[in-house]
Amino acid sequence: MAGATSALYILDIKGRCLISRDYRGQVSAAQVEKFFSKLLEKESLKAQCALKNGVSYMFIQHSNVYLMTASRQNCNVASLLFFLHRVVDVFKHYFDELEEESLRDNFVVVYELLDEIMDFGYPQYTEAKILSEFIKTDAYKMEGPQRPPMAVTNAVSWRSEGVVYRTNEVFLDVVESVNILVNSNGQIIRSEVYGALKMRTRLSGMPECKLGLNDRVLLEAQDRATKGKAIDLDDVKFHQCVRLARFENDRTISFIPPDGSFDLMTYRLSTQVKPLIWVEALVERYSRSRVEMTVKAKSQFKERSTATNVTIELPVPSDATNPSIRTSMGTAKYAPETDAVLWKIKSFLEYMLRAEFRLPSIVSEDATADRKAPIRVKFEIPYFTVSGIQVCINNGFPCSFFYLMFILN
Amino acid sequence: MAPPAQSQRSPSPSQPSGKGEVSDLKMQLRQLAGSRAPGTDDTKRELFKKVISYMTIGIDVSSVFSEMVMCSATSDIVLKKMCYLYVGNYAKHNPDLALLTINFLQRDCKDEDPMIRGLALRSLCSLGVANLVEYLVGPLGNGLKDGNNYVRMVAAVGVLKLYHISASTCVDADFPALLKHLMLKDKDAQVVANCLTSLQEIWTLEASKSEEAAREREALLSKPVIYYFLNRIKEFNEWAQCIVLELVSKYVPSDSDEIFDIMNLLEDRLQHANGAVVLASIKVFLHMTLSMTDVHQQVYERIKAPLLTLVSSGSPEQSYAVLSHLHLLVMRAPFIFSSDYKHFYCQYNEPFYVKKLKLEMLTAVANESNTYEIVTELCEYVANVDIPMARESIRAVGKIALQQYDVNAIVDRLLQFLEMEKEHVTAETLVLVKDLLRKYPQWSHDCIAVVGNISSKNVQEPKAKAALIWMLGEYAQDMQDSPYILESLIENWDEEHSAEVRLHLLTAVMKCFLRRPPETQKALGAALAAGIADFHQDVHDRALFYYRLLQYDVTVAERIVNPPKQAVSVFADTQSSEIKDRIFDEFNSLSVVYQKPSYMFTDKEYRGPFAFSEELGNLSIGTEPADNVVAAQVVEANDKDLLLSTSEKEESQGYGNNGSAYSAPSYNASTTTGASQGHLDLVSLDQPSTVHTTASFAIDELLGLGMPAAPNPAPLPSALLLNAKATIDPNAFQQKWRQLPVSLSQDISIDPRGVAAMTNPQALPQHMQGHSIHCIASGGQAPNFKFFFFAQKAEESSVYLVECIINSSSCKVQLKIKADDQSTSEAFSELFQSALSKFVLP
Repeated sequence: MAGATSALYILDIKGRCLISRDYRGQVSAAQVEKFFSKLLEKESLKAQCALKNGVSYMFIQHSNVYLMTASRQNCNVASLLFFLHRVVDVFKHYFDELEEESLRDNFVVVYELLDEIMDFGYPQYTEAKILSEFIKTDAYKMEGPQRPPMAVTNAVSWRSEGVVYRTNEVFLDVVESVNILVNSNGQIIRSEVYGALKMRTRLSGMPECKLGLNDRVLLEAQDRATKGKAIDLDDVKFHQCVRLARFENDRTISFIPPDGSFDLMTYRLSTQVKPLIWVEALVERYSRSRVEMTVKAKSQFKERSTATNVTIELPVPSDATNPSIRTSMGTAKYAPETDAVLWKIKSFLEYMLRAEFRLPSIVSEDATADRKAPIRVKFEIPYFTVSGIQVCINNGFPCSFFYLMFILN
Repeated sequence: MAPPAQSQRSPSPSQPSGKGEVSDLKMQLRQLAGSRAPGTDDTKRELFKKVISYMTIGIDVSSVFSEMVMCSATSDIVLKKMCYLYVGNYAKHNPDLALLTINFLQRDCKDEDPMIRGLALRSLCSLGVANLVEYLVGPLGNGLKDGNNYVRMVAAVGVLKLYHISASTCVDADFPALLKHLMLKDKDAQVVANCLTSLQEIWTLEASKSEEAAREREALLSKPVIYYFLNRIKEFNEWAQCIVLELVSKYVPSDSDEIFDIMNLLEDRLQHANGAVVLASIKVFLHMTLSMTDVHQQVYERIKAPLLTLVSSGSPEQSYAVLSHLHLLVMRAPFIFSSDYKHFYCQYNEPFYVKKLKLEMLTAVANESNTYEIVTELCEYVANVDIPMARESIRAVGKIALQQYDVNAIVDRLLQFLEMEKEHVTAETLVLVKDLLRKYPQWSHDCIAVVGNISSKNVQEPKAKAALIWMLGEYAQDMQDSPYILESLIENWDEEHSAEVRLHLLTAVMKCFLRRPPETQKALGAALAAGIADFHQDVHDRALFYYRLLQYDVTVAERIVNPPKQAVSVFADTQSSEIKDRIFDEFNSLSVVYQKPSYMFTDKEYRGPFAFSEELGNLSIGTEPADNVVAAQVVEANDKDLLLSTSEKEESQGYGNNGSAYSAPSYNASTTTGASQGHLDLVSLDQPSTVHTTASFAIDELLGLGMPAAPNPAPLPSALLLNAKATIDPNAFQQKWRQLPVSLSQDISIDPRGVAAMTNPQALPQHMQGHSIHCIASGGQAPNFKFFFFAQKAEESSVYLVECIINSSSCKVQLKIKADDQSTSEAFSELFQSALSKFVLP
């Protein structure tokens, strides 16, 4: 038997219960708060699942609240964590941002939601769009007897019937993030690309959509010449609206999209990719109290593309003071709240940055000697993906806009 | 929404004054109750919101209960919802008030609006007041037959709620049968899914007392039902799919074609966006192919990609949960993942618990081809500023070395760690070098040269110090200063707080003395004197033992303390394979994350009121003195902890063996400490039941019950007489089982009626007890049960051990009999089978 959850709690950052829904009455709120305050005493949260007195607590953090489930059974942990994240999405749909304040302002809606997303400890519906059809506390006006939304009972549970827009629009983004591990000699040990096809649809009725990819399996199946453009996807996951059997057969992605924005597809490929922006940092400690950083960043992609809105985040010691920063391009400023220097460049080629910091001469006892934190780089290159993935709508005409995020490790 | 009440913003100061506000609310509500003026609903809504807000921040608003109920006569669904919420919150603690609500809830259950019918029914079932169940049956019955699927969906779960309040009412009203009908016929997928969850839970709980329920539970796993669900799987929403897949994973297909059909059907589920569905499908794949080794391996290959994606995308919590599952699979089949080792490299910003899992996986997948790269990566982590991480990395390097790949290079690396002169690195490395030397004595020269340079003053951690001292004693001949270092350590005897270190010191100085007597004599004298005066009992005893040993005969002492040694070939594993299999069976649950099977952490009290009362019943039988042993075993069978107690003993046995292979008593300490941490929790969990057994056995011995004099009560068909009161402790059983060869192995079939009785796992052991065959451990889940029995010949110490695997679906039994006296094992087997054949329902 897949175990059921006893209760769902939403706690504030100090571990006090903000709002809860007890489905089975097996775990008391006091017990939960006691557990959580103990957990918070330990500096770093040890794990997302913990066992205490026969009760398993699983929680996730989102901004300044914790969402937690408690159970006395051997429940399906991964599933519940996925569920909690889905709950966050649902709340976000309702309150734009999920945080303590927004919950406090909306107790009633939260209760209603908690009632519908789970019944007696078993997850029910977590599609924000669907839920919003029968939870209308806010905008609700009496207009005759209410019928439960069709979608709750429909085969297409993610879309309700009768959606109408004056203009039908579809927006499609491909967002990729690259994970590269480079050793101290500058050799790439491992590289991997994660991507997501993000869609926003404003379509009327029950539209049937179709997409194609320049996926190697597909191109080879169609006997089209592969001019180095085809890519090997290691693993693909689709939104529940995609007909998976169809994809298995002829690699076309056909679906009836949900209304609004969603991730149509996520994929992973571990091909060897060159870092698009190469950052080298040289940190020199001249004395106990002075540290100098020289950072060189250069682009490594073809000249016809340009990276825009490049942000390079350089970690610095947490007790650094008196920054003096010089750059050959862009603006750089010290952001003490994240212990980093943020270097922003509008349009990118190859630039230098030099920064100098003063450190207090007295070092705190527990200071870790050399925190080798990674430099983070974020940027966008329009019409370009690391993986080279292309999405075709309507007879292979590529129409895509790409964002990239790049993390150097 | 407009911020409702200003008072919520500052809960604590306003709480005392809450009283006044509540009475204000009460007044206002009362005025509104009868009013039918337009706009009343809006005012009511604001008031209700206030009430709910107060309730949430912990102000007691139960005093407005009757006003709330009065105001609930409305058709406004929002008001209704708030009212239901309020009622649900206070009804449990005020059963009298709850009675007030029954009326309007029942009325709402007949409302023309299906939404209200559903909500009212849900609230009605959630009241959880035992003496109101009679009012539930009618609305629930109507709900299940309702024309609207939302209502049916709520009703299906409502039945489960009713079952938890009053099981008998639920069963008497024949709701399970109704649910089953609905499950197989309803058009709406969510209704079907809710029926399934409710039925699963009801029949699982009911199975312990009703044979019919047990059959029904089995029937859920029958081919037609499974196929019915599989055919509809795409209609279900993602969470319901998980539930269906969980059910399918328990299904045992009849042949390989069926397995392939199911896997082909579910193949696309691996691409579902919801990780929960992916994991649930993986479980199906893994469990279906268990018996087909080749396919099982292909399954691993197939699921690798989705799992790796889940690990590296998504939030840290999710990736940890998935990583734990991956960890389990890697541990089961490291070779399949050996080319993916780069996925297990740690990232800077990962939390420690993730890194630790990854290190373990890196260790597991290391083989000839990738060891060099893995160890290079691990060495980077050793330089990490994060101390626990550095320690774990060193341990990982050491473990890889113990796996025998590329030992040469690794030993060099380890020795480099010693030169890094960081205290935690040195300490951790010393412990490892010690283990390495125990396995590869041939490296002693290289190691000793480096270890000799370490000043004992720089080593403070007890374990590291003990390791260093061990090496000083063991390699006294090769280390020039060894006697003098030991001597200086003994001078500081009083400052040494760890008993472990002092014990090691005694043994080391003893060894050193036997090899280099003139230089060590003085140190030995001082050590023995200090040891005998030591307040720690073990240290004192060992010192005294050495002292007397030397007094008795130095050559004997030499033979005991310094015997020729064999290299340790395998270090004991920390988890028995039995436990690992149990965890694998519970794939996709908390067990995997905790790395313990579920019976070790779920609370038995909450299994349901029935399991509990049964336990009590058994306990009261146990008060009759003659049944002492029976009671103990019944309790244990209930707890299902017996397997644990044996396996745990097996482990400690393992360590004991290590020590004895080495033959010097001091190593026990060093070998067990490493692993004992991991077992602390096991031990503490297990304590109650073991204590119980040993206590009852002790009483037996006191009363002389264990003597083989008692005549056998059961009429036996053959000449072989068994001792009805035979006892054996799990430890001895385990040892015997390993020593003895299988004298008889048979496949037989048993009476299906007996199989039906298997639903109660205690029934068979109790039955066999009547035939003087005792159960020592049992486990498994339908359809496979496993029992270990033992029996003792009357008037002789000769023992029979039986492993009995019963498949309840095919009525087949596999017997393995081991016996001290091989010649009588035939006769015993006959006896056993005749006893088994009599096992039918009472």
